Amino acid sequence: MKKITLIAAALLLMLIASQVSSAPRMTMGESVFNFGYVPQNSKISHDFWLHSTGDDSLKIIKIVPG
Amino acid sequence: MSKKELAVGDSTKLEIIFSTKTYKNRITKRPKIQTNEGPPDKRVQIIADVVSRPDSTYPLVMKPYKLDLSQFGEKLRDKIDFTITNVSDAKIDLEMIDFAKDYFEVKLPKSISPGESASCTLKLKKDAVSKNFEKSFTLETNDTKKSRFTMPVKRQLRASAQDTKKVTKASKNQ
Repeated sequence: MKKITLIAAALLLMLIASQVSSAPRMTMGESVFNFGYVPQNSKISHDFWLHSTGDDSLKIIKIVPG
Repeated sequence: MSKKELAVGDSTKLEIIFSTKTYKNRITKRPKIQTNEGPPDKRVQIIADVVSRPDSTYPLVMKPYKLDLSQFGEKLRDKIDFTITNVSDAKIDLEMIDFAKDYFEVKLPKSISPGESASCTLKLKKDAVSKNFEKSFTLETNDTKKSRFTMPVKRQLRASAQDTKKVTKASKNQ
């Protein structure tokens, strides 16, 4: 009985480990940008780089203004 | 954003556009990026010191404070001059921190002496001549605060009168 429980636990751990290792992951080189002085009533822009550094493809679902 | 799905090891650019409207003083925005990585969502952060009097910034004053390269006729407008004045009593070194590389290049002096003005030029890249855009560039100074200045750059194209005539004639012939 003990052997079966141990095997089941090991299988469960392996399953969890495989799911963890194939997770998507997003990293950013820079996540903060300071524009400094900017005039009113104008549009300015900055590019941030997003990198897919996980073990599965990364889907960008939505950008929510904040 | 050019890509919404990234393969492992791939990268993409996320352009954050900030409209300063009639904001005043320091503004911080933190857009959230939702991905299939799951929570917690990651954020980028932008900070801007919005000024209602761009002629009273320190240690530099940039004139004009917005660059408009809009073209309403056939004459090509791919270049614009502006001046930067050092209104402090110390020599100021300039460093370009960020600019829209695909759209333009900016010629700047390395430093400006106290009380002096420098003439600078922004020139459009060939591929940007046919585009409408609103971008910007950001400079950093070597003063104790490491002050930064962002110049908005805009270009709007309107078909010339001659082009409009051609289009009208062509549509009548159809």
